[in-house]
Amino acid sequence: MIKMETPKHITIFHGPQHPGITGNMSVELDLIGETIQKATTHVGYLHRGFEKLIERRTVIQAFTIVCRICVPEPDPNEANFAMAVEELAGIKITERAKYIRVMVLELSRLSAQFLWMAGQSGSIGLYAVGQWAIADRDLILDLFEELTGGRVYHMYVYPGGVRRDLPNGFLDKVTDLLIYLKERMNLYNDIFINNASFKNRAIGVGIIDKEEAVANGYVGQVLRGCGIKADVRKDAPYLIYDELNFEIPTQKAGDVYARALVRRDEILQSINILEQVVSKMPKGDIMIKMPTHRKFKLPKDDTWVKVESARGEFAYYMAGDGTEKIRRMQVKGPSLIHGFTLLEDLLIGAELSDVALIMNSLGICPPEIER
Amino acid sequence: MKWSIDIKGTLSPVSILGAFFDKPNTIAYPQVKKETAKGYRGFHTNVLSDCIGCSNCQDVCMNDAIDMIKTDMEYNAKNASQCIPRIDYGRCCWCSLCTDVCPPDSLKLDEEYMNVSKYASDFIYIPKNQ
Repeated sequence: MIKMETPKHITIFHGPQHPGITGNMSVELDLIGETIQKATTHVGYLHRGFEKLIERRTVIQAFTIVCRICVPEPDPNEANFAMAVEELAGIKITERAKYIRVMVLELSRLSAQFLWMAGQSGSIGLYAVGQWAIADRDLILDLFEELTGGRVYHMYVYPGGVRRDLPNGFLDKVTDLLIYLKERMNLYNDIFINNASFKNRAIGVGIIDKEEAVANGYVGQVLRGCGIKADVRKDAPYLIYDELNFEIPTQKAGDVYARALVRRDEILQSINILEQVVSKMPKGDIMIKMPTHRKFKLPKDDTWVKVESARGEFAYYMAGDGTEKIRRMQVKGPSLIHGFTLLEDLLIGAELSDVALIMNSLGICPPEIER
Repeated sequence: MKWSIDIKGTLSPVSILGAFFDKPNTIAYPQVKKETAKGYRGFHTNVLSDCIGCSNCQDVCMNDAIDMIKTDMEYNAKNASQCIPRIDYGRCCWCSLCTDVCPPDSLKLDEEYMNVSKYASDFIYIPKNQ
């Protein structure tokens, strides 16, 4: 739309059908030539209202909804929900269940990072990388299919443990996949991360200031790409993360390329974590006996739990009121702050062709905004 | 503006050509079908000789996708309500909670998942007796 009062300006909508957009949202861009003067995020194309839906269901029923809060990475939601219920009810899960949960969370992180790689490379036209990343992600989904019975929505991590035990030979399959993915990472380094066309597009684009990142509460790769070592797995360890050896990768530049390097290193760290989990997997029960399984009542109390998702800190507030239903549950993911405050700021002065590039590097997932 | 050539960055993507000699990741569907994993959450099945008609499945379903109906099929003698579950696949999310809470373990999920029909009414599904 050309504004007649200021004919130099043109306003366009980037999304919600644009392939470079992350999910069902759009950005309204005010341009002069190719340069963005103003960006406004629009959400509301999804509106599923998870928080309200959960208030009307029992604990056991609500558990099947939470995974839908983030499509590319449902497991941090399931883990958060289960951890919140367990903390409110004072339930301790078994050691094996903890290991299986970490395995599921890391596999889920890997699958989300490969999906990011597909989106990030697609945003600058490197489609071969995207197709390969999606194919490799599918191998992880095959493992999920075998373990949980579902490829995308797993509904597997349940308050009190996990729903199914590992199938025969599952750990060997995980080990084989990790060896394969490690080899593939060399290839992705060659064709994507070290690719001159990606470097030229990503270096110096979407730079985030370190102080601003801390002050505004940015999380995940956005924070680590500015050189701040922040990760829930190290800062407030949950499950068995304090028993595992892994590093928190950081970069200093704060641009799109720095965030890509952090993500690449995180894939390698996830593989490292999974190798440790597979080698240490204990025997035992996967689920404790839950009292009044179907009509489980939450005590009158509230809690705040958080996990590290592939895109940053993911936290749940949960309050019970002594009934079978959850009084209130609030979801705090990285997308709200990254999708509004940060994206709108970063796009000012950027080129139109860099919108998808910057957006993909921030890890925005609209269902989480419209929770 | 200073121009510089990133020789490594320009040459390294050439390794992508090696993919011409790799086995493709895709399969020739529909000639070759992908095997579904054991335990995949597909269609419901119900062993009628075991089903006791307790409606636990209906009770736990968060989408209200299950209703208990009378049919002319032969039931278990212990089926007190003489009703069996019917699933609305327009609502079902395949969470499998109904099979978790089934006391005689008669309601299960099969690995079969393909359902093609031009009639919306076919979404209302009575689980096969097996």
